[in-house]
Amino acid sequence: MRPIDERRAQQKRYKEDVEREGKPFYPFAMFHDTVMSLIVVAVIIGLSVIWKVTVPGDAGEEGYGTEPGWIGPLYSEPADPGTTSFTPRPDWYFYFLFYLLRIFKWPESVILGTVGIPTILLVILIMLPFLDLRRERRLSRRPVAITALIVTAISMGVLTYKGATAKEALASEVVAEVPKWVAEQGLPPEAEPGARLFAGVGCVACHTYLGTGSSSLGAPDLTEVGARRQGGVDGFVAFLKNPPAPMIQFANLPDDDLRKIAIFLDASKGPKDE
Amino acid sequence: MVEPDRTPHGSPPSLWPVGFALGIAVLLVGLIIQPFVVAPLGALLAIVFGLLWVRDVTREHRGPVSAEPVVAAPPPAPVPTTAEGFPRSKFLEAATLGLGGVIGGLVTVPAIGFMILPAFLDQEVDEVDVGALDDYAEGQWLITTFLLDPAEGEVTRRTAYIRSNGLIESQPSFTILSSRCVHLGCPVQANGLPDEKNAKTFKNKGGAEVRQIPVQPTGFGCPCHGGQYDNEGNRKAGPPVRALDRYEYAIRDSRLYLRKTYSVSWVKEEGAKARIKKYGAADPGQHVDGIEQILYPIQPEQITG
Amino acid sequence: MPPLPRQKSTRRKQIETMALYPLAWLEERSGLVGAVKYFLFRKVPRDVGWPQTLGSATLTAFLVQAVTGVILAMYYKPHPDTAYESIQKITNEVTLGWLVRGMHRWGASVMIILLFFHMARVFLYGAYKYPRELNWIVGVLLLALTLFEGLTGYLLPWDETGYWATVVAININGTAPILGPFIVNVLQGGAEIGEDTLSRFYSLHMLVAPGGIFALIGLHLYLVIRLGVSSPPWSDEAAGREREPEPPGSGRSGLTQPGPRGAAK
Repeated sequence: MRPIDERRAQQKRYKEDVEREGKPFYPFAMFHDTVMSLIVVAVIIGLSVIWKVTVPGDAGEEGYGTEPGWIGPLYSEPADPGTTSFTPRPDWYFYFLFYLLRIFKWPESVILGTVGIPTILLVILIMLPFLDLRRERRLSRRPVAITALIVTAISMGVLTYKGATAKEALASEVVAEVPKWVAEQGLPPEAEPGARLFAGVGCVACHTYLGTGSSSLGAPDLTEVGARRQGGVDGFVAFLKNPPAPMIQFANLPDDDLRKIAIFLDASKGPKDE
Repeated sequence: MVEPDRTPHGSPPSLWPVGFALGIAVLLVGLIIQPFVVAPLGALLAIVFGLLWVRDVTREHRGPVSAEPVVAAPPPAPVPTTAEGFPRSKFLEAATLGLGGVIGGLVTVPAIGFMILPAFLDQEVDEVDVGALDDYAEGQWLITTFLLDPAEGEVTRRTAYIRSNGLIESQPSFTILSSRCVHLGCPVQANGLPDEKNAKTFKNKGGAEVRQIPVQPTGFGCPCHGGQYDNEGNRKAGPPVRALDRYEYAIRDSRLYLRKTYSVSWVKEEGAKARIKKYGAADPGQHVDGIEQILYPIQPEQITG
Repeated sequence: MPPLPRQKSTRRKQIETMALYPLAWLEERSGLVGAVKYFLFRKVPRDVGWPQTLGSATLTAFLVQAVTGVILAMYYKPHPDTAYESIQKITNEVTLGWLVRGMHRWGASVMIILLFFHMARVFLYGAYKYPRELNWIVGVLLLALTLFEGLTGYLLPWDETGYWATVVAININGTAPILGPFIVNVLQGGAEIGEDTLSRFYSLHMLVAPGGIFALIGLHLYLVIRLGVSSPPWSDEAAGREREPEPPGSGRSGLTQPGPRGAAK
């Protein structure tokens, strides 16, 4: 028999089996559907209630609703096309695509992450019945399918998680960390102005310090840089004026500021053991 | 003597071909003297008379031609096939599909045009006044927020990072960077703390509000996917595909006016001496140089101006 | 012998016929009652159970979206200057507006989760193979349209998250080769995002995509009813399972005469 004839025979058997042995959709299967639908509606209502009830503040107040509750704010600030302090993010179910864009961080590869890979995946998904032509449906005999499903599920989960936790270091937020740095590193008081400058001028956009900042660009962590480099404060000033590529030159900062930053870096010798 | 053959052959004489010829003549004359009224009239005449003529000519082939009455008992009438029982069905089929196509076209083409064309036409923006030249101290970066089109409102609010570079050959020079990241359009932030205390707000010549906040950046960074730029807008790290877009600008009556944006592949040197490799405005994510520029050969503004 | 069913009295039959007359009237003139009966009382394999409820659960979530969406559209004002305020009004002032808006917002997430689970279940059961290939393709199109709904809906409150997520989404489409710049203009309704963008996204979100989703769901359900629900592949009583061919010599092959039906072998 040709494969198509086998399939038709199987479908014919299926129809006969169902007629002979099957159960009527109503009430047996429909009961399950109804219970499940009830659960779905209850979950949706429950989420709405939690969302509304846990948002802080009262309805009459100024700015009500923009502070997040347990599962997010009621709305964020009104759209400001000229903002310079907002971190855009898509809705959570797009986090895996969002993180894909962060992975492809070389300009030549941007198109892969934006349209290349998603389009290929969509095409594979649509063409699935033509890629898998076997009649076999038992799981134990479909190793490729099982592997593909597990790999897809895990990678989408990981990408979604990483997308949810991806952070850039914004100057305004990092400056708030300075007291914590002073405490953890045991920094002397003269290092604090430098710490503020360090937080504010964008060093953490490329470097990490005590867990804050971005490490995705390959710049070294600076938590213990004072212990690593031996040049002292002057060494750091010279370095900042003329760092090796691809680090930006900071020579345009006033000498005063450069000195303060250098004092801070020199004093950063790692967390104090308490 | 042989009886004259009385069976009619061909169709009886008719005037339809005359009308058809008349219509063609009017059409041709009209094309020369008055294409908008006379020619269509001629075409109409030609079509109408032509159809009637065709109908006459094909009458023989469509229905029975009764030459003389048949005396013998007629055979049981067979059920006519569609072609026999409905002799004009082929014409009607063609006409229905054809007219249906015409109606569909008449409805859809304007609708699609309505949906798509306005997005490409009339897209120019007027200049925007962003303050007096004296507001811009040399070497000082100002985060400047303004409305591209006050009539359309807040939705046209944009931000530019503006630094005066003093004078070059006695002309004022400005570095004006757009705050839209050229990777995917996120709002780029200055790597430096904005000096909110010295911020200024004023109304420009068009009556719209402009805000200026001093800042001392060591570069610009994008919060979405980690792009980094230096103070000339060149890409330093991350996925941006070119340098930050810049604004063309004009200076009139000692005031700075921003015009449209343009795209930049790289900037060499700095400040007033900067050499900028300039391209027409491209959307974020689209390469303007390198091998990947062949992916984006045509920008809409090249077609519609 | 099983007991004979109780005979209904003539009177009872008369009352039943009168009570059901409206249905009979409708059935004679449209055939719809018969269609509904066919849908309800059709047979499904014995071994379908809870995993097969994911599809109808997704449909329920979509219906929640449709109903709450229609109600929200009665208060939402789709212009950049008024959209945010109308959303605030819905959330804070309109009676139970927060509930309707919350159900719409979280219903979207729930629908997408259920959709992915349903897709995984169908994949696991191999229910995309013959003769259900077309149904799978329709399902993937439904997935694409649903994600598109989420994308266009995110812009409508005209808040910061919605605005910037949309900027990036439009520019992602702009990186498509050759046609990218034109797609950007068409989606934005201009060279920049403006008031036309919001109207466009509103039209896509309310009319174009839901129309497509309704049509494809109709096709999807028709195919499920026509082709049948597949049994779990590991089930012993799977409908359509291979049968052992009869070994030679068994059955009545002429040695004995076939007995009357029901008689002992």
